[in-house]
Amino acid sequence: MTESANRALLPAGLRDMLPPDAEFEASVVHSLMSLFARHGYDRVKPPLIEFEESLLDGAGGGTSSQTFRVMDPMSQKMMGLRADMTPQVDRIAATRLGAQPRPLRLSYAGQVLRVKGSQLRPERQFGQAGIELIGSDAATADAEVLVMTAEALIDQGVPGVSADLALPTLVPAVFAAYSIVGETAERLRAALDHKDSAMVAALGGAAAPLLQALIAAAGPAGRALAELRALDLPPAAAAERERLGRVVELAAADLPSLTLTVDPVENRGFEYHTGLSFTLFARNIGAELGRGGRYQGGGEPATGATLFMDSVLAALPGPKPAKRLFVPAGTPRAWAQAFRAQGWVTVSGLDPAADPLVEARRQGCRHRLGSDGIVDVELG
Amino acid sequence: MSPQDKLVIALPKGRILDEAMPLVRAAGILPEPAFDDPKSRLLRFATNHPHIDIIRVRSFDVATFVAFGAAHLGVAGNDVLMEFDYPEIYAPLDLGIGACRLSVAEPDDLAASDDPRRWSHVRIATKYPEVTRRHFAARGVQAECVKLNGAMELAPSLGLCTRIVDLVSSGATLKANGLKEVEVLAEVTSRLIVNRAALKTRPDEMTGWIEAFRKACGG
Repeated sequence: MTESANRALLPAGLRDMLPPDAEFEASVVHSLMSLFARHGYDRVKPPLIEFEESLLDGAGGGTSSQTFRVMDPMSQKMMGLRADMTPQVDRIAATRLGAQPRPLRLSYAGQVLRVKGSQLRPERQFGQAGIELIGSDAATADAEVLVMTAEALIDQGVPGVSADLALPTLVPAVFAAYSIVGETAERLRAALDHKDSAMVAALGGAAAPLLQALIAAAGPAGRALAELRALDLPPAAAAERERLGRVVELAAADLPSLTLTVDPVENRGFEYHTGLSFTLFARNIGAELGRGGRYQGGGEPATGATLFMDSVLAALPGPKPAKRLFVPAGTPRAWAQAFRAQGWVTVSGLDPAADPLVEARRQGCRHRLGSDGIVDVELG
Repeated sequence: MSPQDKLVIALPKGRILDEAMPLVRAAGILPEPAFDDPKSRLLRFATNHPHIDIIRVRSFDVATFVAFGAAHLGVAGNDVLMEFDYPEIYAPLDLGIGACRLSVAEPDDLAASDDPRRWSHVRIATKYPEVTRRHFAARGVQAECVKLNGAMELAPSLGLCTRIVDLVSSGATLKANGLKEVEVLAEVTSRLIVNRAALKTRPDEMTGWIEAFRKACGG
């Protein structure tokens, strides 16, 4: 007992996925990837582990503290296990696919591993599925990525999908315009992250009224944009505001069922984003379902989005139970084949002497194949 | 937006509750009579709004309930918020109640002879190990924290530690135990806190309540 209990224990944040969840995840990933493929996104598959220096280069720098490392006995160099797939796809686009015409549309799905879980995502290993659109600076590119990932969630049956748009460069632009640097900037950033208006007032000095107005502007996209447009922003920030307005307009036209909110001071998880970014939420699900935005990919403008499979699955109603049919031993193979073609899952008996009813129950089959066709089975 | 979705408000037991309730009522949320009955064993109370419930929990647990989305709104001091530093909590409104400060205190005789510049390590009894560790780490001092849940003032005199970090309002308790407040870590007041995902996915409703509380405290 004790020994088997010890064997069952997994390290923190890691778990076994059992039936039917494992199959469900695979089928949801498959269906997401097919949707991306139908929109012209070609799938790539980077390795699980690669040299640390290339994994953490550029866009990957933000994942450094989340990356497991091992030494490669062959090259004697440090390798990192991916904590995020975007930097890998970015590397592929900049190197092996560098000569491909732009814009380049790529998709990917795979598992990532992180040193530490977070409050809402204690999992250290989870699945990602995502897209990258590389080589375009257009607002239409931002809108394409946003609309496609949100639509993918809605198509899967996630109820109450909403997207929260953010401008991670806006607050730094305001800080620069008011010469807010050093420790004050750090403390002010922390206060903005918690929307702590009182603390912003205390620390913000001349910038306080503007920063407080930015906090207050967060909310439904229409109202937030109107409030943002009324503010006197530094020129760099004003250009970003224009892009935000355009993307909201495009997304609202393309996908009216998507709830759009705007949060001008949002900064979580946008470490490598250099422009318009977004987070996908579902009503009554605490964790983020996905995240995306603009980044500087190997010297060219790029945007992309990643869905987090653990929270996507949590937001979905769950798999429909399969129709399992018990086929007693000795049944001709072609018969079972015909039922499978109709969508049945067939479970074959192995022992011709066994009672088919007992076996069907044991194997969790609600139906069994009798001499006169399919018979219902009462599961005890 | 479906009106059936529950909204849960977490309030801290004890001292802060008496100051918070007038604001909750002024914001238009009136709990059922059992809320004010000291003999009631209920933990969750209905209100005059069919979809709003109030829960009454310990002050540290208010932050935890809200951080994980089990409650959507809450009232918590920034001492608690600093200790947990939950990324999923927004604190948009200073309610201006429960004012006190989070301070370091040490025995009177030690305070007279101590030179903080020479410290490399201090041993501190506190309910706030994270805040304490961070505070001293920023000064290059390693703080070994002994977690206590109350009666911190006893610890130095019994040799458990040399200093404490605790909430101080009048300073009378410190004085009665021969301790002197030597440094203020933070000024503390209670904040209205909101779960991040709730604010993102129910923006109109949540913003509405934040505004109602803002009006209630006269801001």
